[in-house]
Amino acid sequence: MQGFILAGGFATRLWPLTEDRAKPLLPLAGIPLLSHLVMKIPVGIPLTVSTNAVFADAFHAWAKTIKTHTVTIRIEDTEKDDHKLGALGAVRVWLQEENITDDVLLLAGDNYVGFSIADFIADFKANPLLAAYDIQDKELARAFGTVILNDADQTEVLGFEEKPAKPKSTLVSTGCYVLPKEYLSVVIRFAEEHPDNIGGVFEEFLKQQIRVDCRVFTELWRDIGSFQSYLEMHEALLEGKPLADPTASIDDQSTLEGSVFLGPKTTVKRSRLKNCLLFGNTTVEDCVLEDCIIDADCRLEHVDFTGKMLRRGSILTKKV
Amino acid sequence: MRRGLLLLLWLSGDVLLFIGAYAIAYFLRVGFLISTDFPIAPYLQTVIIVTPLWLGVLLSLRTFALTRIQTSIRNILYIFYAAVMGMALFSLAFYFTQGTFFSRLMLIYAGTLSFIGTLLWHIAFDQWQRKLLRGKRPAYPLLVIGVNREAERMITLLNEKQSVFKPVAILDSRGTSEKELAGVPVKGKLNKLEEVIKQDRITHILQCADLEHTLNLLTVCREHGLTYLLLPSVLGIIQGDEKVESIEGQPVTMVSQKSSFFGLF
Repeated sequence: MQGFILAGGFATRLWPLTEDRAKPLLPLAGIPLLSHLVMKIPVGIPLTVSTNAVFADAFHAWAKTIKTHTVTIRIEDTEKDDHKLGALGAVRVWLQEENITDDVLLLAGDNYVGFSIADFIADFKANPLLAAYDIQDKELARAFGTVILNDADQTEVLGFEEKPAKPKSTLVSTGCYVLPKEYLSVVIRFAEEHPDNIGGVFEEFLKQQIRVDCRVFTELWRDIGSFQSYLEMHEALLEGKPLADPTASIDDQSTLEGSVFLGPKTTVKRSRLKNCLLFGNTTVEDCVLEDCIIDADCRLEHVDFTGKMLRRGSILTKKV
Repeated sequence: MRRGLLLLLWLSGDVLLFIGAYAIAYFLRVGFLISTDFPIAPYLQTVIIVTPLWLGVLLSLRTFALTRIQTSIRNILYIFYAAVMGMALFSLAFYFTQGTFFSRLMLIYAGTLSFIGTLLWHIAFDQWQRKLLRGKRPAYPLLVIGVNREAERMITLLNEKQSVFKPVAILDSRGTSEKELAGVPVKGKLNKLEEVIKQDRITHILQCADLEHTLNLLTVCREHGLTYLLLPSVLGIIQGDEKVESIEGQPVTMVSQKSSFFGLF
């Protein structure tokens, strides 16, 4: 089996955090989101990470930090959002150019999965397989690919709908799939017509009467697509406790409440921080910050913020 | 640079106009023959002394600001006020230097001519300046943030009024299927901000939506030396009765009832 991780998006909804950083490389509890994903993949599966030219250097640097897996960085020939190959298009090009004849573990690089991918792969027989999560809200399910299971056989997918207006199910696809080598030709053909519709390939399988299996997980899962989901994931991972890099410093007059992460070389003085994520190299003095994500190299003095996402290098100092 | 030269030209025009207005007033009152009872030399000498002071009054009233509408009532009153100040300054200066007063009618002529002349010159110059600064390569390319009706109205207004701030591009944080708004191209989401700023040589950013991005847009503006503008509707202020005031030296946006008599003071 070979692993292919999609990391070619420009993550425009997470601007300004993704202004010069790919979404899968956003830090979560001190390490990149993509590293969390790779740690869940069984050792021995060679991985290819597909990204775009803009973030190429960052991904090459990240790959050097991964010691457990063989990682190949594959650069899509795109420098702009509107020139993208499309997620499935990137899979197709890789399958064809590398002449892949193995089963493929296909993963979305911007998803956090709490479950074991080894357990997921263990369920793979010969049919296409996807991992699903019960989001328990049909309104929320509208933003994802939804899965309808056979009531009698809870592992058989009867229907798959990509971002439906009226979801029939609250089970959503988690961006974690196994594509059997026998059906890679179906993937390639479908991708030629629909390079952006990764979920659609499962609808295509069903249309061609190919059985699709599903494993439903209850462990933590999030698609990190927005400020809110990123912050929620951060809070869930830290479980309401502060976590600081050894090089971060905090004085006696400061308090950290809930899930607070202080990145490298962060200094906090006379401040109160609640559920915040500070990427690093930032100074916070006499501030009250709640539910904030602060990118690197910032300096905040005498300011209070709630629910803010601050750009790298922000200098916000209020005269008092 | 273009604006600097234009301002210099504008100020020079004002100087000539003020001196000219007072000279015409002299001839209208005294006659076009050189008078020995009331010689022109000390008169013009006083006008020249007063001109920079009068210009200082106009400058302090921000009459030359790019955001000023020259035909607005407020601006007309400011120019009138400057003309009255000019008359007062001239009277005082003449009395102090010559130790005597002179024809009151001449002063009224001078004040009236300087007021009307300045007003007409400012209106004409402003129209010409707008055309010049909006040309093929606008002096103040404006980037609009947000695709909504408020943005559309603002763009339409700026274009109709031939504002020196020329909308050249639009970005929207959420993304939109619209390709253009009121004739201005929508160039994508905020991740293209840096690219658009450089490509279109943006000097001003006007935020019409996405309140959550205010802080970051301000940071970008500071970084690039751009001027940041915000539509009050982004803050939920939609009645048009807001103003920026200062309370104990602290700037605040104030929205108060217009009908209040005491609010005038």
